[in-house]
Parts: sequence; C-alpha cells; structure tokens
Amino acid sequence: MTGTDPHADVRSTLNLAVQAATAYGRPDLAERADRLMAQIGDPNVQVVVVGEFKQGKSSLINALVNAKICPVDDDIATAVPTVLRHGEEKRAYAVIHPVSDGGPVPDDAEERRPIPFDHVPAYATEMGQIDPSIVVKGVEIDLPRKLLAQGLVLVDTPGVGGLGSAHATAALGALSVADAALFVSDASQEYTRAEMDFLSQAQDLCPSVICLMTKTDFYPDWRRVRDINRGHLDRLGFDAPIVTVSSMLRAEAVRRNDRELNQESGFPELVRMLTNDIVAGANNRERARSREAVIDICDQLSSQFDAELSALNDPEKANELVEELEGAKARADRLRGQVAKWSTTLSDGVGDLTSDIDFDFRQRMRRITQEGDAAIENSDPLDTWAEFEPWLVNRVSHEVVSNYAYLTERSSSLSSEVAGHFEVDGQSLVVSLDVHNPTDVLEGVHVEPSVDLSESTVGKKGMTVLRGSYSGMFMFTILGGMAATVVPPLGLIATAAPAIGLVMGRGALKDEKARQLTKRRGEAKNSMRRYCDEVSFQVNKDSRDTLRRVQRQLRDYYSNRAEELHKSTTEALKAATQAAKVGQSERGSRIRDIEAEIGRIKQLRDTAVALQAKIEGPAPAHAGGSA
Amino acid sequence: MTLVEQAREILVEAQSVFATHPDRASLDGALERLDGPLRVAIAGKVKAGKSTLLNALVGERLAPTDTGECTKIVTWYRDGHTYQVMMHPVDGSAPIQARFHRDDGAIEVDLQGRDAMAIDRLDVTWPSSGLRKLTLIDTPGVDSLTDGIANRAFEFLDPEDRGTAADAVLYLMKHIHSSDLRLLEAFHDDSVAEPNPVNAVAVLSRADEIGAGRLDSMASARRIAKRYGQDGRMKRLVQVVVPVAGLLAETAETLTEWEFKALSQLANAPAKELEPYLLSADRFVDARPETPLTSLEREQLLGRLGLFGIRLSLALLRRNVVESSVELADELVSRSGLVELQTLLTTLFVDRADVLKARSALLAVERLCTDTPEHPGARELLLSIERVMAGAHPFNELSTLAAVRSGWIKAKDEDLQSLERILGSSGTAPWQRLDVDEATPPDAIRTAAIEELGRWQRLAENPFTTHDLVTAARVAIRTLEAMITDAAAPAP
Repeated sequence: MTGTDPHADVRSTLNLAVQAATAYGRPDLAERADRLMAQIGDPNVQVVVVGEFKQGKSSLINALVNAKICPVDDDIATAVPTVLRHGEEKRAYAVIHPVSDGGPVPDDAEERRPIPFDHVPAYATEMGQIDPSIVVKGVEIDLPRKLLAQGLVLVDTPGVGGLGSAHATAALGALSVADAALFVSDASQEYTRAEMDFLSQAQDLCPSVICLMTKTDFYPDWRRVRDINRGHLDRLGFDAPIVTVSSMLRAEAVRRNDRELNQESGFPELVRMLTNDIVAGANNRERARSREAVIDICDQLSSQFDAELSALNDPEKANELVEELEGAKARADRLRGQVAKWSTTLSDGVGDLTSDIDFDFRQRMRRITQEGDAAIENSDPLDTWAEFEPWLVNRVSHEVVSNYAYLTERSSSLSSEVAGHFEVDGQSLVVSLDVHNPTDVLEGVHVEPSVDLSESTVGKKGMTVLRGSYSGMFMFTILGGMAATVVPPLGLIATAAPAIGLVMGRGALKDEKARQLTKRRGEAKNSMRRYCDEVSFQVNKDSRDTLRRVQRQLRDYYSNRAEELHKSTTEALKAATQAAKVGQSERGSRIRDIEAEIGRIKQLRDTAVALQAKIEGPAPAHAGGSA
Repeated sequence: MTLVEQAREILVEAQSVFATHPDRASLDGALERLDGPLRVAIAGKVKAGKSTLLNALVGERLAPTDTGECTKIVTWYRDGHTYQVMMHPVDGSAPIQARFHRDDGAIEVDLQGRDAMAIDRLDVTWPSSGLRKLTLIDTPGVDSLTDGIANRAFEFLDPEDRGTAADAVLYLMKHIHSSDLRLLEAFHDDSVAEPNPVNAVAVLSRADEIGAGRLDSMASARRIAKRYGQDGRMKRLVQVVVPVAGLLAETAETLTEWEFKALSQLANAPAKELEPYLLSADRFVDARPETPLTSLEREQLLGRLGLFGIRLSLALLRRNVVESSVELADELVSRSGLVELQTLLTTLFVDRADVLKARSALLAVERLCTDTPEHPGARELLLSIERVMAGAHPFNELSTLAAVRSGWIKAKDEDLQSLERILGSSGTAPWQRLDVDEATPPDAIRTAAIEELGRWQRLAENPFTTHDLVTAARVAIRTLEAMITDAAAPAP
C-alpha cells in the first residue's frame, strides 16, 4: 500500500483485540480477529465492464490502468472475460480447458496457465484460438497499480452482441455476482432498445451501475446524446449516473503528461467514483464487520470477569449464579455438534435445496424441449434452424441464469433460517453473553437476520450470497462453457435444394420433400436434446458444488461461534465457582483486579464502538500517477 | 417478348380477372410500378445513417438528419416535375398535400398537427437527376425505442397483407447484429424467390467511425466489410458488403465554396499549432481565438464533415493533393466509398431493373391468387406465372445464384466463385460475367465464353457431379450460350 492507510484505526483496534484475546487465553477469539485483519483494505471489489461490442470497453480499461492489456482493434472483438487485479508484479494467466471430443471432460481439466504478457491479446480475442486442442475460458492479469491496490478487480467482458443473445444473458449473470457494473456505450447515438432492455434487467441485479459514455472526443454532439440517455434512464426510474469519458484523450494525456488533457478525458471523475463510491463502499462494509466482531470479542472476554465479579460482590447469591451459569453452559453445549438445531436445519436445508434446485432446472429444461418440439413440428428445420439454434442457446442460458437466481435466493433464506435458530438458542445465555446478531454469516456478505422468507425475490438481497461464494468469472465460465457446447449441426446441406426446385419444376420434388422433412425434424429434435443434456450435466455439477460450498461456509461459521460461546460459558462458570470459594480477605483485592480488567476490556470495546463505520475515499489518482 | 412485357401481359390479365376484387388497387399499383424507376429501400437500425446516405445518393440534402432519432415515417423520394409532398394516412383515406419548408436544406414537412403514427407514408416528389433511375425510400430505424416506430420498417419491408413496396434494399449497419439479420430475413421471406440475396446490398455505414477517425479508418472498414461479406449468414442475405462514410459522402456531394475556403484557411495555419485542437471535437470548437475562423464557424464545419472529414481534408489540402473545391469534393466522394456504392447499385440493381421489377409485379399477382385460390381465373393466372417464371432465364439465374450463395450447392470454391460470376453476381455485362477486362473486344469475349462453356459442359456431364451442381451448371451453360450468340451477332 502506498500513502497513508485509511484503515489504520481498524487495524490497530483489531490488533488490540488479538492481544487481549491471547492474554486472556482465548486463542479462538484471537484467530477470528486475525482473519478479519487480513481482509481489511482488500475487499476484492468486482467491477464488471459490460456493453455492446465495439463500444470501446477494452480501450477504456487500458486507459484506466495505463497499459495495453486488453486488445483494441477496429475489427476483432474481445472474446473471453479478462480479469485484472492488483499484484506486486506484472503477470498473466490463461484459464484454459481442453476441447471435448465427444466424451465428458473431467472437471479438474481446467488449468490456469501462465502466459507471456504480450500473448494476452492473442488469448483474449476471438481470433485467439491458437491451439485447437484447448478452449480459452478467460484471461487473468496481475498488475501493480494504485487503483487496483485497494481491492478493485476489473473484469472486461465480451460484447453483449445484440438483443437477448447468450452473451447478454452471460453478462447479466456476471452482473449478479459483481459489486458494481460499468455499462459502456459510445457517444455516437442514444441507447438502443437492446441496451435499454439490458439496463432495465441490470437495474435489479446489480447494486450499483455506472453508465459510461465513451469516445466523447470523436462525437461533437455527445452532450445531447448524454441528455437523451439521461431521459431514457429517468423514464426507467433508474438513477445510475452517466459519466462521459474519452479513452483516446486519457491515453494522450498520459503520453504527454498533460493534466489539463486528463481532466478533459473525464477519467479523474471515473476514478473518483470507482475509489470513493464503490471501493470505499465495500471497505466500509468490511469496517463495520470488524467493528461488530471486536465488540462481540470484548463481550465474550468480559463475561468470565463479569461472572466472577458478581459472585465476589454477592457471595450469598454465588450458588444461584453458578447454577444459572451451568444452565447456560449446557445450552451453549447444545449449540455444538451434530444435534444442535441449527446444524440439523442446515443439513436438512441443503438436502432439500439440492433436490429442489435440481427439480427446478429439470422442469425448466423440460419446458424448453417441449417448446422446441412444438416449434420444430410447425416448421421446416431447413428454413428455421438458423433462427432456432440461437433461440435454443439463448433460452437455455436464460433458464440457467434463472435457476442460479433461484439457488441464490433459496440459499440466502436458508442462511437466515440457520441464523435465526442459532440466535434463538443462543439468546438465553447469561445476560452479559448476548449473542450478537450473526451479521456476517457468509464470507463478505451482509445477511439481514430478518429476511422475510416469503418475500425475498430474485433481487439484490438474494444475490449477495453468491457474491461471496463465486468468483466473478463464474457466470462466464459456465455460460461460456455452454457456448462451447455447440448445438450439434444438422445435415441440412446434403439433403436439400429447394431453390433449384424452381428450375426443376415444383411437383417432382414433392414426395421426396415430405420424406426429407420428417427426417430433418427428427434430426433437429435429437440435436436439441443432446445439447440440453450436455448443459444439464454441467449445470447440475456446478449447482451441487455451489451448495456444498454454501453449506461448508455456514457450518464453519456457526461451529466456530458455538465453540467460542462454549468456551466463554465454561470460563465464566469456572470463574464464578472459584470466586464463591474465595475468602473474605482476598475478596477486596480480587474485586479491584477484576474491575481493572473489565475496565481495560471496556476501553477496547469503547474504541470499537467509536470506530467510524464510514470513511472518505482516498484522493483521486491523477494522470500518470497510477503507475 | 421481354420479361417486362410478359409481366405486363399477366398484370393486365389479372386486372380483368380481379376486376371486382377489393384489392384490385394493388394491381394498378403494380402496373404503375412496372413503368417507373426501380424502388430501393434504405433500411437499418436507429442511427445507422440512413437519411444521411440517402442525401449522399441524391446529391442534395433532402432528408432531415439529427443527433437524436429523426426519421419516424416511411418517406419516398421520387423524381417529378414539381416540388410536392403528399401524406398518406394510415386509415387509407385520400392522400393530403402537405406544406413543407426547407430548413438548412432538408425538407421539413408540416404534419399539421397529425400524429406521426397516423401517417402511413410521406411521398416527396422532387425534380432531381439523382432520383431519375432510382426511387429511394427512407425508413425509420428497426430497434427504435419509440413504441410503434420500431416495427414500421418491418411492416414496410414485410407487410402481412400485400407485397413489399421495394424492389431492392440497401441495408445499413454498423456491425453484424442479430436484429440486422432479422430484418433482412423478413425482407426475403417471400415464396417465389426463396431466401434471395440478389436484391439486397449491405452497407457498413458510418465507416469513418470504425477507426475512431484515424486517417486509415476507411482501409480498416474495407477489411471488415470484406470479412462480413464472407460470413455465411450475410452471404445468404446480401450480395455484397461495402463500407461508406455517409456523413463525408453527403457533405462532399454538397460541399460549398465557403466550406472549401474555411478548410483552406485552417490548412494554411501551421500544423503544429493546430494539432492540439484536432485531438477532440470539443477542442476543435473551443480552440484559442487566434486559430482561424470563429468558434461558431468551426462548429458548423465539424457538424458537416465530422472530425474524420476535417482531418482528411486538411491532410489533402496540406499535401496539395487537391487545390480547388471541386477537386476536394471529388476526392472526398471517392474516399467516402460512395462511388463504389453507386457503381454497385448500377451493376446490381439498375442494370437488372427489368428483372427485379417484373419479379415484384409477378409477386403481386401471385399473392392475390394464392390468397383467393377459388376466385375464377386465379388458377390459370398462377399457371401463367409459373410458365413465365420457369421460362425466363433471368429468373433461373437469380434463383440459382441465390442457391449458390445460400450454400446449398457444394463444389470447389473456385468453381462456385466462377459460377456466381457467370450468373451475374458482379454485373450482367459479358465482361463482368467472364471476369475479363472491360475493353476486351467481342471476339476475345466469345473465345473466353466458349472456353467456359466447355468447362461447364464437362462438369455437367461428369457422372460424379452432384445433381444440384448439374442443375446449376445447366443454367450457367444457357447463360454462356446466349452470350456466345450475342457476341457473334453483328453490331447493328
């Protein structure tokens, strides 16, 4: 990190918490604080860059990080997602997958292969399929840049490519797991219908969208186009900001080291928004999490002293207290292990979820094949296959995304259900031992404990779970994988020559035509089924993996909390039991000692409480300064 | 009897057969159309530059253009003796003469308070040499955000109740997009010709924007157009893809003396001083006061030429490639790709106008007959149409050409290419079909044709040749035979 650390206060508080927990013999709590510390300042904020193709997405990213990373060409477009993140050294990797020769490819066949930096364009473009035995699924790049150092991860995506295409669905999928999206369109014209459709869907899927208008250097009327677009967004009720930039001017500004030109390029504003609004927003969530964790650690630490103190202060009631604490300990014990109610809820829930998701997907695929069958029966595949194929790919990818949305929504409600059980069972523990609302159940995720199960729809709330469980490439990988699953071609060419029928006279072909039509329909249906099978196979595997990941995360989190509570109640009980036996003479000094300890812990707790939840973003980077 | 005469005969016959039919008017229209110039529709997505290209083709600023979506009504531009604009209401009532004024050159029609959606089309009659051979039809963008307008282009090119009003279509696009392909497919969706790429040309419009205004933008655009032209999907739908820088073409065709002077003034300023202001449109307009011209004048120039046009003009003037406004205009026109497009329109559409018009006329009759098959006389008419269609060699050429381009005929690539050419894919003149120099004397053309004939005869007789290819080869053989006979006939 360069410059002053905006998170120094959180870091030092967490550090104190680690020291305190270690000093009081609670390595479990120290570990928790330690883990949080590692995450501070590196929130891994995924920003996906989406838009129609040839709108200047790649130039934009290049200009943003001052490097020729993403290939820019008048003709060739980016074909696979490119992920840029911070790294101490420049490095590039290609995520590759061997081509399936019919049989299923093993799951672990995917490989992350280091590639020379100047080979990146070849791997990332549609011309990039150099080696026919592999499919490039994505490119990952580490770059030492100040902009990225705060945890920003930029994902360049292939162009959306027209209304409702499979790519558009994939881009929407990627949006749903990203923290923010940059929607890129150039200043040559107002939003098209396809773009507006995309935006209206993105509005529900992504927490923050910035509309970027590129190439302002080339179009004299960009202000009018911007105003027209603002009007379109307003009619949609979408308050996403529109930022206008010129990648060309930015590149030129960097080359000439010209501050004024950099201002004109519009990039300082974009950088400010990215760092202040988006990265800082994510950082603030991390800060809030740390703050609550430290408060919780303090409460647990002081519980044993509180118990001892009450026993010392009021020896008559000591036995009563011990009894109470024994009860609490027993209840804390019940939170541990397989029999705990939350644990049962979790394993049952995941079981139900697996079969529900599977059923949901099968049902969706069945609907597609039914529709497809009907369409094939009503037409001649020879004429319609060219339309049918994209329709199928499209429809399937749409259902895949819907199925994942359903999975997300359901796992989100499961996590809050588990949280609810844990809370209820934990609440009756000793007064000083309130169980804090488990706000950070899933890594990096803020789950509202009061999620209304019936109402949580496919929206921002549900999507948050995935955001932690998946990498941003995920949707592209799965849908990209589907795109690679080619719809088996039809043997159309060999069988038909209806155009020549004109020359031959129409009647002669009639019988032969009918026979061929039936054959073609059969082939078309078969082809569709094979495709659906292949997709189902991949999706099934992936959703099972995802659920397993969700289960593991929830289980680990709550067993750790249960262990901590167990330890705290045990310590409190021990302390109270000993205190009951302490003689009158020692009592006075012991009370003073304990009060001092409690005072120290309280001081730490107060520091945590006083931590500002929000910080201002660092000053925006200026021209040439991000290298 | 020529094809047009045959078509006319059938139309006249149809008029008497359907004398009492409510749709009789469509036949009158078809007959009128047979005598008029070829109708070429300009279609594409919103802001593809349709109106701009139309103006460039006419050589005069007629269609209004704007940064926002502009054309909302299908507008016909045809040659005539008077200046006149007629509005045709959607409800089919009598056309109304509309008032108009020319705003900045373009024709602004006063709808007199009518909703654009209530008007089916505008019919502009304008004495102009640019419209003599082709009637041009401007259409609203596909993909429009305004409800109702989006489908107007579809309704126009593929109306449900009557034949399409256009004989050929120029399709403008910025990239290949699924919605582009959809519209083209709609235009081809008719029964007589099957998917037929012969009457459509795709234009990679706004070609200067492809390289964001770099001086080599057009070369880049040409390369892309070539690649698109080889794309299987495009091949099925259009004859060829060409790049045109629409704005540049429009301005070059209408370049004023003042604009030339202003450009010369800029070109005379030291290049180093001007360079920072050519970086962006904003900079060019807001340049320092000591730069030539006022800010308002520069803005006007920018609006006319675009950044690419200005950079290009300055480069041309500085290197003394051009010295007068006429030379500059010519150079810009040729660099904009407009000349290539015009040549293409002539070889592909104008030279074949009779075939295309006869085809449209027969389609109109066929549609009427198949809609009311039990109408007395309809069956006989259908048979006559089939007889003309099967007997007319140009139709066979067209449909075979379509089949070749759709990939339905399998052969070696070079054979397919020469087959396409013989059938008239690059023009119908013998030298174009045989791929020889334009100045080749008739004797040499004859020799070349005989050589080709032998090749195709051998191919047609080879037992290993597929049935489809034999059928196609026979059509080519007939074309070549006709060519040999014509070349042998002494010039009148």
